[in-house]
Amino acid sequence: MAVTQFVVNGLLVGALFAAVAVGFALIWGVVDIINLAHGEMVMLGGYTSYWVLSLITGNAEGSPALFLVTVPAAIGVLYVVGYALQRTLVSRVIGTDIFLTLLVTFGISIAIQQLAIQAWSANPRSIQVSFADPSLVAAGLVIPKMKLIAFVGAILLTVALYVFLQRTRTGRAIRAVSQNPEAAALVGIDVEHTRAVTFGVSSAIAGGVGAFIATILNIQPQMGLIYTLKSFVIVVFGGVGSIPGALVGGLLLGSVEELTAGFVSSQWTLAVSFTLLIVLLVVKPNGLFGEGAEQ
Amino acid sequence: MSTSESEDSTGLLRTVLPPNQVDRVFDFCGENGWKLLALGAVVGALPPLLGLEQGYYMTVVSEMYLFAILALSWDLVGGQTGYPSFGNMAFFGLGAYVTAILVKDFAVAFPVALIAAGLLALLFAALIGAVVLRLRGHYFAIATLGVLLAAQQISRNLDITGGASGKILLQVPSGTVFYYLFFGVLIAEMALIYYLSNTRFGFILNAIRDDEEKATAMGFNTTYYKTAAWMLAALFTGVAGGTYSLFNTFIDPQTAYNGAWNVELIAMALLGGSGTVAGPVIGAFGLHTLIEFVETAFVGWQLVLLGGAVIVTVIGFPEGVVGTLREYASEMAYYERGGMAAVDSGEDTEVTADE
Repeated sequence: MAVTQFVVNGLLVGALFAAVAVGFALIWGVVDIINLAHGEMVMLGGYTSYWVLSLITGNAEGSPALFLVTVPAAIGVLYVVGYALQRTLVSRVIGTDIFLTLLVTFGISIAIQQLAIQAWSANPRSIQVSFADPSLVAAGLVIPKMKLIAFVGAILLTVALYVFLQRTRTGRAIRAVSQNPEAAALVGIDVEHTRAVTFGVSSAIAGGVGAFIATILNIQPQMGLIYTLKSFVIVVFGGVGSIPGALVGGLLLGSVEELTAGFVSSQWTLAVSFTLLIVLLVVKPNGLFGEGAEQ
Repeated sequence: MSTSESEDSTGLLRTVLPPNQVDRVFDFCGENGWKLLALGAVVGALPPLLGLEQGYYMTVVSEMYLFAILALSWDLVGGQTGYPSFGNMAFFGLGAYVTAILVKDFAVAFPVALIAAGLLALLFAALIGAVVLRLRGHYFAIATLGVLLAAQQISRNLDITGGASGKILLQVPSGTVFYYLFFGVLIAEMALIYYLSNTRFGFILNAIRDDEEKATAMGFNTTYYKTAAWMLAALFTGVAGGTYSLFNTFIDPQTAYNGAWNVELIAMALLGGSGTVAGPVIGAFGLHTLIEFVETAFVGWQLVLLGGAVIVTVIGFPEGVVGTLREYASEMAYYERGGMAAVDSGEDTEVTADE
């Protein structure tokens, strides 16, 4: 029974990891950049939601409906942040050495992190949603309501991205730029703008997930790097540019972490994730679902 | 990039610092490398002899040497061989913990502990290298970052490392000892890398950076060479870490496996000019002085500055101080040769920036 409970917990958290990773994979696939500042977008999204809720209610507590109103705010703010970052900084290193792009995004990551510490202090914060207890109990499994809402929210964001990429004009433009930027430019797509939109959409999803994370875990300025690395594990596992792969990878990583926490100790979850990352990179660098991504 | 624009902006600079003079300085340094290194060794050894022993400035200078060692070690693999590691601090942390544990818990003499730290870092590098050096590009960078964070988490969870609260070391030698230790290691490393950069070994490392497949096709066992460079870098980083643990009198997972430092030393190598011997050292001295200044003047903002410095360096001049100067010097050679030189050199600059 304990195993099922751990797996359920893992799936609930894993959907959030997956939604973060999907955005990370999108930038990687379309702009060919590993965005080491991706985790900072999660952090900023969490803080946006936190501050909007504080503005409405006076403290960071509120009903579920009120909290859900703050999610679009986080998504909107982070879209602008992502778009601006790509347009002002990241676009300058596209096409140069891989290492330089990594370093620029790492620089952005450190700068955002430290500015956040200066602005909001390093103390962890969290959003209290009023109905959080008691949890749902179904067939002996305990499911906290807020985790369920976060799970559904994360899945919705992931599916929304998938539909956006497959069905809309902008989504098609993004896929075209990902496949061949020169040809895309030839048929009249504004490549620079499309890349910035990609960055914005990816950051926006991370921001929305950040808002959910603020309610079930907590947020603090230095939380970002861990989410970036988890995204990397998931993307490597699922294959670059594959949204279903990222979803499966996220759910799996969540389960592995919860099982580690349950059977060994919660202190070892990060060590296990990072070891898994290294092992995966060596054994299966193209992912389980990836279509032969070039190294 | 229009050529006339860059010509105008460098017009004043040209009269103050003519490129052919810079070129001459490069020639001079190239011919007298060993003499300059010996001169530097003598000058660096002087301050404690002249009575400067303890105090803030000696600590800052010692830290400058420390960062120069780290940046140079990173550059041996990151700049010379083309494998940019985000996990060099793993060797630093390992060295620091090995030394701290041996000195404190097993009452081993400091020099012996330091040698053990270096050797263990070397061994660890051999093991990790066998795994991560097979990867390239994004995958290598992230895998090394993963190694660093996994090492940090492990040291946080073990008893022997003192867990998250770390280890406090009280009986430590005086500041002068550390000054000479850091300085000695730095000079030894500079001498070694300078020597290697003119040997077959150094050339093969550069060949791996430029095109690993061609290097393999020419019959070099690239795995052997890059692993050797990686282990050498780990040795120096481990010794530096071991020295640092006693120098700092305190070690915990956050300071030993410091991800921000890892970025800092990459920034130093890049800022100075990666792929050279002098570049990382110049970058380390310059950036550390700047960071130290910001740290005292605006407490808490040094990492914001670091992030900014990294972004500006990468976007502004990825060739670093040494690389930019060298380009500046060679540009003059074009001008002296003839009229189309301006256009040529402009294209030349862009090509190198794209690589």
